[in-house]
Amino acid sequence: MKGEKIFTISINKLNTKKLIKTSNAPSAIGPYSQAVEINGTLYISGQLPVDPVTGKLTEGIAEQTSQVLMNIGAILKDAGYNFSDVVKSTCFLSDINNFKAMNVVYARYYSENPPARATIAVKDLPLGALIEIETIAVK
Amino acid sequence: MKNYFAILFMITLLGSYACKTEEKEEKTDRRVITLENTPAKRPYSPAVEAENTLYVSGQIAIDQSTGKLIDGGIDEQTRQTLKNLKNVIEKAGYVMDNAVKCTVLLSDIAFYTTVNQIYMEFFPKDPPARMAFAVKDLPLGALIEIDAIVVK
Repeated sequence: MKGEKIFTISINKLNTKKLIKTSNAPSAIGPYSQAVEINGTLYISGQLPVDPVTGKLTEGIAEQTSQVLMNIGAILKDAGYNFSDVVKSTCFLSDINNFKAMNVVYARYYSENPPARATIAVKDLPLGALIEIETIAVK
Repeated sequence: MKNYFAILFMITLLGSYACKTEEKEEKTDRRVITLENTPAKRPYSPAVEAENTLYVSGQIAIDQSTGKLIDGGIDEQTRQTLKNLKNVIEKAGYVMDNAVKCTVLLSDIAFYTTVNQIYMEFFPKDPPARMAFAVKDLPLGALIEIDAIVVK
């Protein structure tokens, strides 16, 4: 009987998929969760430069990058993580020419020991955004 | 009564096995998931499992029986892509509900709404985190490609 108990506990521990929902970041515009946490890893959906208060897209690459990172920060915070827990970031730009401008703002949020990162220029982003960033954080 | 003890013994055995597998985590077991129709000379696997996490390669709307991209528009291709994704996930011993992160690559951002509707049928509850965007081109001229990270 002792064995049975231990077995149940270990399975439950591994299985806890937790959905993160916060009003401090824009709500999902499709059938996805803002973030999913499992086994001490937080997977944050691609964040768009939407102001959670007005529900509108901000303007310009600097403002949009800042908004995206503020949204990521809000999700990290509400999930009990912070920027230093981020291990991998993927930046999607609608135009590779925005790379430098994006980096200037990005460096403000990840000033020390920044996470691994890939940056890609894509054809189009949802809502016609200039930038979207996806994040994985580990506690 | 005999049966009862036999079952009890099995459960205890299973329990101690679960404990053991949890303890000896120094060496990560890596398991490659293959499908019956996976072409031999392809430099990637349909999925790779390590530490209760399954990394599923980007799936496109290939008909498993012919190995070719199906005919049809974004509706059919989205459905086939998700069916293929589900197939790999289930072959690996996971379920769709275990998915924690998906990436949806579209050949045209105008497909976004249509894809969402079909996507919802496959992830009806507690959907995974997701990233979706339009790319320049997808392999075989596919309209959509989806990859996933699945954890149990």
